[in-house]
Amino acid sequence: MKIETRTEPMVLNMGPHHPSMHGVLRLIVTLDGEDIIDCEPVIGYLHRGMEKIAENRTNVMFVPYVSRWDYAAGMFNEAITVNAPEKLAGIEVPKRASYIRVIMLELNRIANHLLWLGPFLADVGAQTPFFYIFREREMIYDLWEAATGQRLINNNYFRIGGVAADLPYGWIDKCHDFCDYFMPVVDEYERLITNNPIFRRRVEGIGTISREEAINWGLSGPMLRGSGVKWDLRRVDRYECYDDFDWEVQWETAGDCLARYLVRIREMRESVKILRQALDSIPGGPFENLEAKRMAEGPKSEWNGFDYQFSGKRIPPTFKIPAGEHYVRLESGKGELGVFIIGNDNVFPWRFKIRPADFNNLQILPHILKGMKVADVVAILGSIDVIMGSVDR
Amino acid sequence: MAEDTKNNENTPETEENKPVPAGPVASWLSENGFAGVALEPDNLGVEVIKLEPEVLIPIATALYAYGFNYLQCQGGYDAGPGKELVSFYHLVKVGDDITQPEEVRLKVFLPRDNPKLPSVYWIWKAADWQERETYDMYGIEYEGHPNLKRLLMPEDWKGWPMRKDYISPDFYEIQDAY
Repeated sequence: MKIETRTEPMVLNMGPHHPSMHGVLRLIVTLDGEDIIDCEPVIGYLHRGMEKIAENRTNVMFVPYVSRWDYAAGMFNEAITVNAPEKLAGIEVPKRASYIRVIMLELNRIANHLLWLGPFLADVGAQTPFFYIFREREMIYDLWEAATGQRLINNNYFRIGGVAADLPYGWIDKCHDFCDYFMPVVDEYERLITNNPIFRRRVEGIGTISREEAINWGLSGPMLRGSGVKWDLRRVDRYECYDDFDWEVQWETAGDCLARYLVRIREMRESVKILRQALDSIPGGPFENLEAKRMAEGPKSEWNGFDYQFSGKRIPPTFKIPAGEHYVRLESGKGELGVFIIGNDNVFPWRFKIRPADFNNLQILPHILKGMKVADVVAILGSIDVIMGSVDR
Repeated sequence: MAEDTKNNENTPETEENKPVPAGPVASWLSENGFAGVALEPDNLGVEVIKLEPEVLIPIATALYAYGFNYLQCQGGYDAGPGKELVSFYHLVKVGDDITQPEEVRLKVFLPRDNPKLPSVYWIWKAADWQERETYDMYGIEYEGHPNLKRLLMPEDWKGWPMRKDYISPDFYEIQDAY
């Protein structure tokens, strides 16, 4: 008997200009009815040649550029950009500077996960959380504006050997207030989203990645931890001062979109935990106390010591990156952000290879899309957490 | 697979001027009859092993079986004017609750005029876009890659932008002049 409903495969172009494509991603999807039989991502629409630019910029010149990689998480980019030459030159970072860095990075992790949560929920059809997350993200940006002078990108705050400026008066109290405010807000998100039957049916069992696949595809961050691998570079590499704090690596075993959602929600709580501990135990305490003590005790005060500075070595603009190479990495909100740097005793790096987390996470998309329904494309893409500025660089 | 790689061992031995003590991974490789030359470890103490393109796949397979399940970073660089192009592979052992993971970096030095080597896509899928990007930027051809074409640059772009001898066009439209 002849099947009358048989159809020819249909090619559907999605993007690059569509809000659900998270920037300028283009997907060429081949459909058999509603089923996806093939998908080809096309990227590069936002390619600016950041690696090439890095090859003729000194570090001080390059730091302002880097928050344009992943423009939702500029601090991570700045951190890895200064870490690469800093570790190559063996420059020590004062404890206080390291704590300030961790505070900024954890605030950025929250901001990153918030900016993932809103669009992801919008992708699966719920617009409300989008407005909620902007409410909270504004507060993080207010904190950044106070400390760095800039809100979303171009914070230009990290420097080799520390950070550009100490925290302003009262900043630590304000950050405490944010932590107190934010914890109940995460509960509010959870009440709104987690057990919502529409959301659950939309994301459960969708885009499943097994543990072996996740490792083989080089996934990182919540994508890897959502597939049952307990791998967090903050734990693995013990960089900055993450060892000083009590926190847990969050992971899930299901490997589907829901697992990745749960990991990210819990990571926001862990970040607040780290933030609170860092704010309480930052060497030197709040800025006003530190400055008052310095003034009261004069130039010989112990508070002028190395550990209490916001920047250890003030590098000159002519700082030469020593000869040598290595690969440094950190755990950004999206996963592993790495830089492979080769120095040859010049002010410019010889090679500055950026390994962005979402570039590597996005590779698997066509393979988990196959066999899914066309309506699941945006849900799965949303759960990967991509920012095209970072994918294309 | 180990047997057919043994005959390559004589070629790299000529570099006697700088003997580098082999790290654990390099010595494991030589114990099992794989040819690789240990280079100076990098700044963080990660082992660097230089390979010939012909033995990349057998050695990569062996290292995969040895536990290097994660291709952390693949990329290329230009060793300098008139020198080789390099394709490097940063491997790491990923697992639960690991704090000091074993790492190794493989490097394959390729001639500028004909940079070709086999793709490791079939061992680590993570090489998919990373090898495409290296092809895009350096013109290194990864044989056996399922979809080797330009990734970030426009499809009709001429030249390999990240090579040190690349001359940037004055303006974008010069591409149309070809």
